[in-house]
Amino acid sequence: MKARRLIRIRRISQGFFLALFLFLLVQTRFPGTAYQDYSVAVTTEQDIRVGYPVTFFFELDPLVSLTSLLSGHIWIQGVFWAIGVLLLTLVLGRFFCGFVCPLGTIHHMASVIRPSLKRKALIEANQKRGSQKIKYFLLIAILVSALLGLNMAGILDPISLLFRSLALAVFPAVGNAIKGACDVVASSDIKPFNLLGYAAEEIASPLFGYGYPAFQTGWLIGALFLVILFLNRIRPRFWCRTLCPLGALFGLFSRFSLLRLEKNSGACTDCQKCTLACQGAASPGPGADWDRSECLLCFNCFAKCPEDAITFRFRWSPAQNRGPDMGRRAVLGGLLAGVSIPFLGRLDGQVYKVSDPRLIRPPGSVEEAEFLKLCQRCGLCMKVCPTNVINPALGEAGMAGFWTPVLHMTQGYCEYTCTLCGSVCPTGAIRAISGREKVERPIRIGSAYFDRGRCLPWSGNGPCIVCEEHCPTSPKAIYLRPHVETGEDGKTITVQLPYVDLKRCVGCGICENKCPVKGRPAIRVMAAGETRSVRNQILLDI
Amino acid sequence: MDDLITRREAMKKGLLLSGSLALACTGGWPGQALSEAWAVENKEGFLIEGVGQTPGYSVQELTKKVFDAAGGMKKFVSKGDVVVIKPNISWARTPNLAASTNPEVLEAVITLAFNAGAKKVRIADNTIHNAERCFALTGAGMVAKKTGADLIHPRSSLIRDMKMKGHRLDVWPVFVPLVEADTVINLPVAKVHGLCELTLGMKNWIGGVGGRRNALHQDIHQTIVDLARFFKPTVTLIDAIRIMVKNGPSGGSEADVAVMNRLILSNDPVAGDVSAAGLFNMAPASVGYMVLAEKQGLGTSDLSTLTQKKVTL
Repeated sequence: MKARRLIRIRRISQGFFLALFLFLLVQTRFPGTAYQDYSVAVTTEQDIRVGYPVTFFFELDPLVSLTSLLSGHIWIQGVFWAIGVLLLTLVLGRFFCGFVCPLGTIHHMASVIRPSLKRKALIEANQKRGSQKIKYFLLIAILVSALLGLNMAGILDPISLLFRSLALAVFPAVGNAIKGACDVVASSDIKPFNLLGYAAEEIASPLFGYGYPAFQTGWLIGALFLVILFLNRIRPRFWCRTLCPLGALFGLFSRFSLLRLEKNSGACTDCQKCTLACQGAASPGPGADWDRSECLLCFNCFAKCPEDAITFRFRWSPAQNRGPDMGRRAVLGGLLAGVSIPFLGRLDGQVYKVSDPRLIRPPGSVEEAEFLKLCQRCGLCMKVCPTNVINPALGEAGMAGFWTPVLHMTQGYCEYTCTLCGSVCPTGAIRAISGREKVERPIRIGSAYFDRGRCLPWSGNGPCIVCEEHCPTSPKAIYLRPHVETGEDGKTITVQLPYVDLKRCVGCGICENKCPVKGRPAIRVMAAGETRSVRNQILLDI
Repeated sequence: MDDLITRREAMKKGLLLSGSLALACTGGWPGQALSEAWAVENKEGFLIEGVGQTPGYSVQELTKKVFDAAGGMKKFVSKGDVVVIKPNISWARTPNLAASTNPEVLEAVITLAFNAGAKKVRIADNTIHNAERCFALTGAGMVAKKTGADLIHPRSSLIRDMKMKGHRLDVWPVFVPLVEADTVINLPVAKVHGLCELTLGMKNWIGGVGGRRNALHQDIHQTIVDLARFFKPTVTLIDAIRIMVKNGPSGGSEADVAVMNRLILSNDPVAGDVSAAGLFNMAPASVGYMVLAEKQGLGTSDLSTLTQKKVTL
């Protein structure tokens, strides 16, 4: 095939998969246009689901499947996609990096559009380096750690990283800016401006979400994403060459790949155009062996060579490839890190000993030890949640649970019959429960308790029943008892004092969310009482 | 069940909505028209009760009959009017749980308004649960799609401070589409409530405001009266096809629901509520805001002073 045509196919493929990724990311939300047909719905509520396969890229990603298999001993749904990608890698090499990976495409664009390095500096930057072994170190650390029961893959896995960065940092930040501008324009007294504001918001809201979404640690996620992008100014596709653990996995699998770069040393004039354009620092030029496991299959060398001294051919004889250059230090270091991280991570006692009251997991989450084996920290549940209650954890889940989902009831609450988060979880860390199971079993995520010193009726500061009003269970978990209170001035007022019935409370948190006592609400939810844990309970029988 | 419309359609809808807002503007923003309409308000109060007796009766037909008994929808809606309907769709619950306005009643009212010549019919409620889930589950989304009414998302740019001049509320954030219309139809569902006994017509206006509205419970009765005075619906239709008799106002179980098959239509906000209180066997005198509203001149609890009619189906 002509080299130029290959390049064109690669670009189309990259564009297609990046667009698909963004499309699915935007669609990871409550389907605003899904209306339940009420003539059907009069007797039962149907579960509303996202209408698109939003976990597709996570199914394609073998690192997600492999770590879930090693740690949780499960084959995740759609694993055949990942197997297919690995089989194809055995034949073609790292085609995923060059043709599919949306994060790779973003890095590719960042490196090529307005490159920071030119000519000699670029040729120098595109030489193979020892630092490219770091990715093998990271891969081994992730895999060993997963084997020992802690799945850290999602922190560095490119699909999880990109989804998290875009969904929890870039999109909300841009969305907030647009929404802020719309609000300013819409509050104008000049009618045309006013209407322009409404119209702009009508178009922007489905993309960026309604209102002002918030994600704790979102700033950190965004800052790291920017740093990773800026690394492309040091060397093109710095991330893909040096850090990406998925790239390392593909590097290992391309060991015996049949598609090979062949150099015709006789025709080569040593113009270095191949090295200048090389995305992976895979030594396409003369004087060194081509690094199969570093090649991102961008085909730039093939296209740029003016003498046609570089070709790609299928060769059936195995073992002609140079093996991946991991280095003993990377392997040993990876093993050591992989063994250390899970055990160090458990030193906070979250799994066996303590139960952080703030560690409120989404409804349907599996038990904590199991959760840490499966959660990819990708942010799908956080993006899809219609009330914006699910946040990436900072310290709530301990070091091992960094960026795993926790619920912040001051930001949102768990809607009583909503089960969207479990329906989009790519690995089943949050089970795909039905609304019926959630309500009838019921699935509790925690329990509410009163702060009587702050509660308006309890503290004698006035009537209020907001928590009781919003309590979604039937019968309500929050009930009222009339009480006559004598104020400081000797006058009596009759108030209704609220109580929580722990047997009924599911911990949804709408009481905490709607409590008029701002700052720290007078009713709060803690994780104790959650269905998923045998240990973290309050009552003898539940 | 996931009946998805395409992005093109969604965009078209968005443009239509903004376009219609633009049209409404050029036609003179109806704030003034609203107060004028109230200056020439029909002196005679009426109270129409509709009862569905025959099994399998059509709720939509009953709604039409109730309006016909009051002189027809044309009495309230003129040709080219912008009509806004304030249902209670605040809870993301299915219609069988009676936590929200019956979608069939909503559909019937919209159809009647369009047939009376309304240029635009909008459905507006500042929901408690997530708005999109409310739209989907209560059936309001389906109704909007079916009838061509605009379902207005309660976003912050549409909630603005307004002067209320009430006894309790002076300036408070208001969901703007509810005041920028020629005709305002209040369409609540009848439910019990932990604090103010019942939530009917006047209480429904809590869903018309934003801001720190959960603090309003600290003086709920005066607040409700202030809001009822501010919003002044052209007419109130209380949906009592299914009512919530316990666990209100959120409910959540069919055990909380009683089927009454009734609709109550009135242009007197107090009388409508007083009449509906009877369905719960509750004396209006025991409901603070009803007493207060009458005292402050919003309407009457003496139903005999009104033209009363009863229609059955």
